[in-house]
Amino acid sequence: MARHLNRWLILALVVVLVGLSMANKSYLNQVAITTMIFIVLTASLNYVTGTAGLLSLGHAAFFGVGAYAAALLSTKAGWSFWFTLPAAGVITAAIGIVVALPTMRLVSIYFAVATLGIGEMLYVTMLNWVGLTRGPMGIRSIPAIELPGAKALGLSSTEVSMLAVALVMLASLWAMHRLSHSFYGNSLRALREDDACADAMGIDIARLKLEAFAVSCFFAGIAGALFAHTTGYISPESFRFGESILVLSMAVIGGLGSLYGSVIGAVVLSVLPEALRELGSFRMIVVGLVLFLSILFLPRGLLGEVSALDLVRRQLRRAPAAGGRRRW
Amino acid sequence: MDATVFLQQLVNGLSIGLVYALVAIGFTLIFGVLNVVNFAHGEVFTVGAFGGLLVITMLAPPLWVVLLLVLLIGGFSGFALERLAFRPFRRFADEASLKSKAMREATLLSSLAVSIIVRELLELKFSGEMQTIPQSFLLQSPIALGPVLITDGNLVIFGSSALMLGALQYILFRTRVGMAIRAVSNNVLGAQFVGIDTNRTIIATFVVGSLMGGIAGIMVGLYQGAIFPHMGFEPGIKAFVAMVMGGLSSPGGAVICALIIGVSETFATQFVSDGWKALVSYGFLLLTLWFFPSGIFATRKEKM
Repeated sequence: MARHLNRWLILALVVVLVGLSMANKSYLNQVAITTMIFIVLTASLNYVTGTAGLLSLGHAAFFGVGAYAAALLSTKAGWSFWFTLPAAGVITAAIGIVVALPTMRLVSIYFAVATLGIGEMLYVTMLNWVGLTRGPMGIRSIPAIELPGAKALGLSSTEVSMLAVALVMLASLWAMHRLSHSFYGNSLRALREDDACADAMGIDIARLKLEAFAVSCFFAGIAGALFAHTTGYISPESFRFGESILVLSMAVIGGLGSLYGSVIGAVVLSVLPEALRELGSFRMIVVGLVLFLSILFLPRGLLGEVSALDLVRRQLRRAPAAGGRRRW
Repeated sequence: MDATVFLQQLVNGLSIGLVYALVAIGFTLIFGVLNVVNFAHGEVFTVGAFGGLLVITMLAPPLWVVLLLVLLIGGFSGFALERLAFRPFRRFADEASLKSKAMREATLLSSLAVSIIVRELLELKFSGEMQTIPQSFLLQSPIALGPVLITDGNLVIFGSSALMLGALQYILFRTRVGMAIRAVSNNVLGAQFVGIDTNRTIIATFVVGSLMGGIAGIMVGLYQGAIFPHMGFEPGIKAFVAMVMGGLSSPGGAVICALIIGVSETFATQFVSDGWKALVSYGFLLLTLWFFPSGIFATRKEKM
């Protein structure tokens, strides 16, 4: 039941977001698109930080790598969105693997520190490699997303973006769900809970960590490509440490380790600042307060991960009602 | 590069390195007692600078009074930070939960949240722009020392850092508070057995660490003539790198590494443009983690 509830929740959210887009206001469309991109980004961070337990403090930089890859491929090489999207994911994953290889031996806080360093290095590179990234000026006029047959259906360009982003978001969530709700996902959780024990059980922890990081970077790159193509303009300022922290906050508020939680967290923290626009400069303070209060009162997040033990307990409690048959 | 330029850059590098060192000490002390990275430490630095600025604009006292008052402000901000972001999560006092993974993650994020709130409040109050500092307080008047030109800011930074480091050495090794801090950082349970109040010791650690961070803030503000709400970020990260290089909870190691970072960063500007300068410290960080996964000056077994 709980699982079905979660699925309905996601579906409801999608309906709400699509509904927002159909409201025919470009501002609401923009909010919906940004929210969906952040859902993908938060879910990708949650995959490595929540499920595999590797605290990453430089996730926005990988988001940026994906955005720059997509932007450069489409403006310089003239690729269309459907080719830049996977290419951005693959390039980001490759860069993630290369920079993360030396850090794979590190545990806990050292890994977090290393990702912070990597993130800042990538940011400094984006800012200063003017020949490639045009530095602080950013890259302008990135072509928007195009769908075949959109003209025939009479869809506006924002509606096309909405649809494409929603499709990519659902596909990414599905892929991450399949990865984390499987035996493979369980080995990631084993790694999170006790890596020495997982090692002793015959799990190749170094390889698993690398794979988890690569998958996470892949989806961060996908989110970056969506960002580049929907906003049309990117500059290094969107990929700084503060952004990494924002994404981490989304994952934490939703509940680390829970994919559904990531969706909720991303929605709350993207929509809240927009809803509080009247408050003006108070809104970042409200975000900080929400983060603080949620850690204090909801340590497992709004929709935290259900532990295996809880699942068993729930099954046992429900068992008599289901005809006295104990289903294990 | 001739000898004059070399000396000149050495002086500049050492000054900025000393500032990083003062910030890094706070990081290492707090990491020692709680095994947690205090992400709001950069904001203590900023609060020190803004507090000093307020003192200057309202009272305009002599410089040493400003520094003393900033010490007070820094210490108080450390106390408040501990109360707000760390105390609420410490429900049990035994070592297992005091340094547990859950504690670490919760306080890491809560200190982040507090740092966001503080930074945004400052921005709201003072706007995000650089603040105007009264000319007479800027520590930028040049002093010729032979062929080398230094500023009085260099002297103030050298002098007060030496004083602070000496005082820290005295506090940590000669006073009861310092011994309690070292005891808790070494073994919480053992410290409790001999009657040390861990809560008070943790507060003392935050106060001592934040004193240093706050005074570093006002000195940098006056030396570089730049006080703004986001000023704590860069020294915070550099000090963080120094802490990791130094082995997380060794103040001496952190000071040495902070000096190395400051000096090499300054020399790097001779060869590359200013923007790439930041790569130096991150490069150091990754090299250290690669070759010395628990820091260069790590003395005891890491307890992760």
